[in-house]
Amino acid sequence: MKNYKMAWRNLWRNRRRTIITASSVLFAVFFALLMRSLQLGTYDSMYKNIIESYSGYIQVQDEEFWENKIVDNVFEDTEELRGDIIEDTNVEDVIPRFESFALASSGSRSKGVIVMGIDPQKEKLLSDVEDKLVKYRLTDEAISTIKSEDIPDYLVKNMDLFNGNSYSSDGSLQTDLGIKDKDVATLMPLFKKYAGVDNGYFSTGDNEVLVGDRLSQYLELVKGDTLILVGQAYHGHTAAGKYVIAGIVKIPNPDIENKIVYLPVDVCQNLYYANGMLTSMVVHLKDNNDDAIDNTMNRLASSLDSPYRVLGWKEMNETLVQQLDADNKSGIIMIGILYLVIAFGVFGTVLMMTAERRREFGVIIAIGMQKTKMAMVMVYEMLYIGLLGILAGVAIALPSIIYGYHHPIHFPSKFAKMWEDYGFEPVMAFQWIDKYFLSQSIVVAIIVLVAVIYPVVKIRKMKEVNALKA
Amino acid sequence: MKTLITLVLILYPLSFIKAQDASEIVKRANDKINGEESSYSEMKMTIIRPEWQRTLELKNWTKGTEYALSLITAPARDKGQSFLKRGSEMWNWNPTISRMIKLPPSMMSQGWMGSDYTNDDILKESSVVEDYTHEITGEDEIEGRLCYRIKMTAREDAPVIWGYQIRWIDKENYLFMKAELYDEDGYLVRTELGKNIKIMDGRLIPSVLELIPEDEEGYKTIVEIEEIKFNISIDDNFFSQQNLKRVR
Repeated sequence: MKNYKMAWRNLWRNRRRTIITASSVLFAVFFALLMRSLQLGTYDSMYKNIIESYSGYIQVQDEEFWENKIVDNVFEDTEELRGDIIEDTNVEDVIPRFESFALASSGSRSKGVIVMGIDPQKEKLLSDVEDKLVKYRLTDEAISTIKSEDIPDYLVKNMDLFNGNSYSSDGSLQTDLGIKDKDVATLMPLFKKYAGVDNGYFSTGDNEVLVGDRLSQYLELVKGDTLILVGQAYHGHTAAGKYVIAGIVKIPNPDIENKIVYLPVDVCQNLYYANGMLTSMVVHLKDNNDDAIDNTMNRLASSLDSPYRVLGWKEMNETLVQQLDADNKSGIIMIGILYLVIAFGVFGTVLMMTAERRREFGVIIAIGMQKTKMAMVMVYEMLYIGLLGILAGVAIALPSIIYGYHHPIHFPSKFAKMWEDYGFEPVMAFQWIDKYFLSQSIVVAIIVLVAVIYPVVKIRKMKEVNALKA
Repeated sequence: MKTLITLVLILYPLSFIKAQDASEIVKRANDKINGEESSYSEMKMTIIRPEWQRTLELKNWTKGTEYALSLITAPARDKGQSFLKRGSEMWNWNPTISRMIKLPPSMMSQGWMGSDYTNDDILKESSVVEDYTHEITGEDEIEGRLCYRIKMTAREDAPVIWGYQIRWIDKENYLFMKAELYDEDGYLVRTELGKNIKIMDGRLIPSVLELIPEDEEGYKTIVEIEEIKFNISIDDNFFSQQNLKRVR
């Protein structure tokens, strides 16, 4: 009989033992995958947030600007430069930006803010600011009015949980409040009526601004109010201007939401007395995967020389990259410990199995089976167990990960506050099925293969006479 | 013993007289350029940077050490901005946003309108006479004029951003010819040079002041006095927040 066939039959001679060993592998794979998916997914959503709402993947700046972000370190926005960038095969478009700092004030309150001049149309390619306009706000007043209407019980509880939150889309409101599909038609008009916020967008040349939700709450601003910006302009001039609030935007990153003011780029240039100048051009890519980004960066860096500088997202978000890197390391250590525990579990069952089957081995070898063949059968047995465990583990982990990917975990509000203070979005997301599935499975497979060394050595050294008496 | 006491009694006032002397010299020089009672001046300030330069024009009114008002008249973009000092408080009026901004004391050492002048220099919050102790440390010749070299150490309770200054004052005409300003750790921060000495409103004064910061290569600010009047009659009410918005 062939080795693999014999091994397969051996497995099912003692089902309980097989299942116990396989399930220890299963748990290892299941937890490792879940942990990894959660970690990688959370990192990914943090990166996406900051990249897509703020930095973009690649930027072209004046070479001095990154080190010293003053308005004097700007460059001229020429057709020639734009042409040079767009020429690249992976570049879809360039998005102009004028970024600086100012003191924003309204009434008696003031706060240091980031002033971001954007192209109202082109910016839609990247951080679609118009899409982020606040549509609903659950104020105390709105909640109590809606409560007085005829609404299902679950909504009463959920609304209190999310008191004070604002939403830029129907979808996120429905997800947070857990509004059931059958209720959407009756409930949404209520929210529109009592919790709806009327916000508008601006277009080129408008003396209007959009402000971050948190900033607007701090400065007590609503649509139509006036915001004053004061700062230092190009070459030591004074930057000062009055602007009408066109809308309030919800930015996923709380740190940015606390201090962002958007202006149409031409109005911003005028405020800073730098007409036709930009602080950065965000390069919008056709293909966003890591290799494509690196290649495009290298090509741009070699075609644009002084006074320009090409920056990648890792460089621009150095602190975040380092923070998440450190967190990733600690995650890997956790998984290492998990594997260690699992490895001893697997090894323990293998040890017991070898002891249990000593007499069996002795008899089989005594009646003429070669030790090498016997050892090979053992290896196959362990491989089957490992494979079974891994497959079952993946099979169980998959539905949870797929569910989690579509329904990220939102923190309960008291934890959320803490995370937001650190500047993170209080959401834990899952990573979609990716390379990490393979690496986790390979590690578990290696553990199983190491564990099999023990019975193999044991078989080779076995004295049949002693084994028969066992 | 008796002789020793006598000697001390004689010498002690002598050292005092010498110190008074130095203060007197600084006061005379200061009064000469700023006016004993009040002054009005029109100036042109050129800010020079390695890559660019620009020019501001302004009008200044001062009365004693208590009151000062400055108004920018050019370029067009900054025109109409005004600054007021009353006692130890300062305000800025910006017509584009129709806003009065009170300058916090922490902003006193910051550059004024992007120049090397600090807000303190423009509004003269601190006084070279009252906020320093003075000591003559020698004589030097600056641009052919014999000058006292006076070391001015900031008094401990004074609202001053410098540790000490060394000023060279023309012996004959009491002109500020040169000044070196040091921070509290004794590092040279800035050099000021008085140039183009001529008679304005009946007084011989340096009509150009050059200001060179030490740590920035190629940075310089030049102030040219175009017109100056001393001891004009001006009411205290002129230095009011209402007038800050109106002044032309």
